[in-house]
Amino acid sequence: MPKLIQYRDKCIGCGICHQLQPAWWRMSKRDGKATLVKGEKKNQTYVREIPLIEEELIRRVVRDCPVHIIKWV
Amino acid sequence: MTKSKTKVKLLAPAGSMDCVTAAINAGADAIYFGVEQLNMRTRSSGGFSIGDIKEVVRICHASGVKAYLTLNTIMYDHDLRLLQLILKEAREQGIDAVIAADVSVFQQCMALGIPVHVSTQANISNLAAVEFYARFSDLVVLARELTFQQIAHITSEIKRKDIRGVSGEPMQVEIFVHGALCMAVSGKCYLSLHSQWASANRGACVQNCRRPYKVADAETGEELLIDNEYIMSPKDLCTIGILDQVIETGVDVLKIEGRSKGADYVFETTSCYKEAIASIEAGTYTPDKKTVWLNRLNAVYNRGFWEGYYAGHSTGEWTSTPGSSATEKKIYVAKGVKYYGKIGVGEFDIETGSLEQGDIVMLIGNAHGMVKMKLEPLMVNGQPSEKAKKGDKITIPVATKVAPGDKLYKITEANA
Repeated sequence: MPKLIQYRDKCIGCGICHQLQPAWWRMSKRDGKATLVKGEKKNQTYVREIPLIEEELIRRVVRDCPVHIIKWV
Repeated sequence: MTKSKTKVKLLAPAGSMDCVTAAINAGADAIYFGVEQLNMRTRSSGGFSIGDIKEVVRICHASGVKAYLTLNTIMYDHDLRLLQLILKEAREQGIDAVIAADVSVFQQCMALGIPVHVSTQANISNLAAVEFYARFSDLVVLARELTFQQIAHITSEIKRKDIRGVSGEPMQVEIFVHGALCMAVSGKCYLSLHSQWASANRGACVQNCRRPYKVADAETGEELLIDNEYIMSPKDLCTIGILDQVIETGVDVLKIEGRSKGADYVFETTSCYKEAIASIEAGTYTPDKKTVWLNRLNAVYNRGFWEGYYAGHSTGEWTSTPGSSATEKKIYVAKGVKYYGKIGVGEFDIETGSLEQGDIVMLIGNAHGMVKMKLEPLMVNGQPSEKAKKGDKITIPVATKVAPGDKLYKITEANA
């Protein structure tokens, strides 16, 4: 299953990931950054498995993050 | 009724701690900086965090320099908590003002008693707008597209009508005198958002305007001939040659753009404009001096210069090359190791490239901003030497303390 990875400390809180898929992302009221829902935290990196069927949406969010802090493997 | 004659103030940008020091050393009356992601240079500058506010304000106030915090992006609901945290810390540390464009910031600042300066992002272009914003602020940064006549009208009407800011003091007016210009009206650009979801108004501009473009007929695919491919990239604003006219408009503060630029840029631009202001006040503002200042300004990052819209130009002047047209370039060579204070000697490890005795080098660090010097004499691995290369340890006389992590650059001609 593909893994979605977010390097959170560089997030600028623009909210595009949340707009594209609110079920995966929520905007933190604590620091204004996007949080990967159910993401496993490793230092400042968050990882979550996403079913391959969602590939199009994964590609879209990876492409549209303006500061390129979302990757998938 | 009338404002007492006060000297015009100079406001310098600081995107990092070495730039703060460079601006102070160059004579800035105030500096402006942003923290976290709520400022217009989120993508391009190294960035300060909330925890840095204390140190920036402390360093500035120790030198009698004011510190302004930029919080001038558009704000979303999810930003308001962070905004509150930043503002509380800013007030705690004694920030002198917050530069903002969104009314949510005005509101929070007023509730906390923090002075507000209205950002150029608000595109203030007329007296009525100044009167409106006077209810929330003490200073407005005007749109960069106004003419001298329009600016002078605004400042003289502020005096005549005795327009006062929220603090009860006469409203002050600030304008940009130097630095990058935007193809859109004073930064209100949606091009970057349109092309890459990267909102310039959230500080994430990818600078589409700085690239070369072709114009093609969509039906035939035929390309149209245009004389300059950089059709959206304005040259940088430079008013050093018309600064007397700028000051004559009656503005209170002159602002330099460049929070994403280096300490060398901050030092040179700030010191040139500081000297120019002093010359105008002393009646010694001569063409010879203008030439010297222009040469110094040309040496640091720039896209070519023009005088902006102030003199009444109806359209912009566009750059013809990518990147900077600076006449000098700095090449990273070595990192600072330690300083022998008693003998005034700094030790550096050469990490890349080489150095020769007589080279002009630039030392950049938080404690001293930017310092230029000539490499003379040069000691390599403990012995006097003419040259040093990667892997060598060098010691050189330095007037200021060298800290681990300071960076040493070689200065060369840009086209050498």
